[in-house]
Amino acid sequence: MNLAAMSLAYLRARPLGASLNVVLLALGVATITVLLLASRQLEQRMHGDARGIDLVVGAKGSPMQLVLSAVFHIDVPPGNIPVPEATKLAAHRSVKQAIPMALGDSYQGFRIVGTTHDYPAHYGAKLGAGRLWQGPMEAVLGAEVARASRLAPGARIVGAHGLGGGAGAEDLHDDAPYDVVGVLAPTGTVIDRLVLTAVESVWEVHGTGGEPEEYQELTALLLRYASPLAAATLPRQVNANPQLQAGSPAYESARLFRMVGTGVEVLQGFGVVLMLAAGLSVFIALTNALEERRRDLAVMRMLGAGRGKLFGLLVLEGVLLAALGVALGLALGHAATAATGVLLEARQQGPLSGLLWLAEEWWIVGGALLVGLAAALAPGWRAYRTDLAGVLAEG
Amino acid sequence: MLSLSAIRQRYGSRLVLSLDQFEASAGEHWLVLGASGSGKTTLLNLAAGLLRATEGSVRAAGEDLGRLGEAALDRWRGRHVGIVPQKLHLVASLTVAQNLALAPWLAGLPPGAARAAKLLAALGLADKAGARPAQLSHGQAQRLALARAVMNRPALLLADEPTSNLDDAACAAALDLLQAQARDCGATLLVATHDRRARERFEKVLQL
Repeated sequence: MNLAAMSLAYLRARPLGASLNVVLLALGVATITVLLLASRQLEQRMHGDARGIDLVVGAKGSPMQLVLSAVFHIDVPPGNIPVPEATKLAAHRSVKQAIPMALGDSYQGFRIVGTTHDYPAHYGAKLGAGRLWQGPMEAVLGAEVARASRLAPGARIVGAHGLGGGAGAEDLHDDAPYDVVGVLAPTGTVIDRLVLTAVESVWEVHGTGGEPEEYQELTALLLRYASPLAAATLPRQVNANPQLQAGSPAYESARLFRMVGTGVEVLQGFGVVLMLAAGLSVFIALTNALEERRRDLAVMRMLGAGRGKLFGLLVLEGVLLAALGVALGLALGHAATAATGVLLEARQQGPLSGLLWLAEEWWIVGGALLVGLAAALAPGWRAYRTDLAGVLAEG
Repeated sequence: MLSLSAIRQRYGSRLVLSLDQFEASAGEHWLVLGASGSGKTTLLNLAAGLLRATEGSVRAAGEDLGRLGEAALDRWRGRHVGIVPQKLHLVASLTVAQNLALAPWLAGLPPGAARAAKLLAALGLADKAGARPAQLSHGQAQRLALARAVMNRPALLLADEPTSNLDDAACAAALDLLQAQARDCGATLLVATHDRRARERFEKVLQL
């Protein structure tokens, strides 16, 4: 016989009430866990995708749309920019590196990006198989594209017009297939979900391949500044050009997080309210249980139980409920995150793992146990003040 | 062993027990006889330290109970007193064996598994160790309450109305068991009852 065995025996004696409290607490914990895991992974992913890109230059329009389309590949670009303007900008003294980007097509929902070898190099991508493209109409698949399509070097793919189209769409570019020459190793960045090729491939597919470069267009340029001073001057200079628009990934993603963050915070607040409600429920359950058990607790004192032991019994019961709730909640939260990740993966929205453990989750564990402890304190105190003879006489 | 002196026990202004002197030596078996409301249960509660004397003093098993703090009183009771309450007060969510194991655990004594097994066998409950109190007959439940009371080999064994609602044979059996277990422990036994059938079994009687 020990405190834990006693507490478990009491919990087993009222399975419905105990289960409901555990489930209520678990729902609060699961809500917070999902939000925490999803927002943290999204944040990490966005930071990883935008790392080292100081400025995105594209057509006039919304800078956020420009950044979302050119860096994170989750929106359509606002338009195209003339190659001569892009070339002029790339040669600007404030620009250390300019990576061109031509968008317009996709393969089975994965975007086809016309670019240079600098782009995979920027993300530190290594070849998993084959080689990089050496000329037009050669393509290299990101790791996730290769995994989903089960293609390898030597395969041929046909792009579809538009950035979200899938195979079987009516506007397939049947006449301009790509030869898959390489597959990239996984990087954990956006490049895993892209098909990379030369810029010239995109021009060729869209029938402008034979035209002189001054008549060609790009979708965006990803820039790295030559010096910190460029951050103050270059965006202004770019925006002064009637054909160009500058967007800062750091600023736009921070703006996006501020907007999305409000929603996340509201949901996290909701999760906290759920947890507190669960704590209140555990409190009420323990208080009611104490009412039902006043006689048992008096009997235990009759048998010599110190008040500390009774107090410990109730506190342990509250903490046990909380521990079960938090364990179930964490399991539910991680499972729900993993399930969301599977859904997102099916939509080429990038990975979301349920197997990740964040340091902040220890705070959830601590918080939930504290709720259980707090819920047990008042009933524990009342148990401590049991009127022995009176309760025993009640029968 | 047990001494109550100049007891005037009151609930508010109501006097529920008035007792000038009561002494019980070690190993004696006493019958506390009286009608309902005569203060029998109050006397047992005072002897067990479940109630504090509002006036007078109680000494039992070498302690002046009035001088003990709450924690010390609980500890003392667990180690020196066995109680068979009128309503038995078994813990419904625990098994027979667990109810029995409660006594040494709560008193801070070693588990005493061998003694528990011996008691269950002696009281005919060996095959009920895994049962819950609700699955026992009244007689079995009463024997379990007795086993729990003597589990820690108390110096003072108190039983409140142990024969109520029992027929003559069951009444005799219950008292036999109580006295046998008290003898086995060398305990001073106080049985409070209004049941006159118990009268002939006790040499020492306190009439309230």
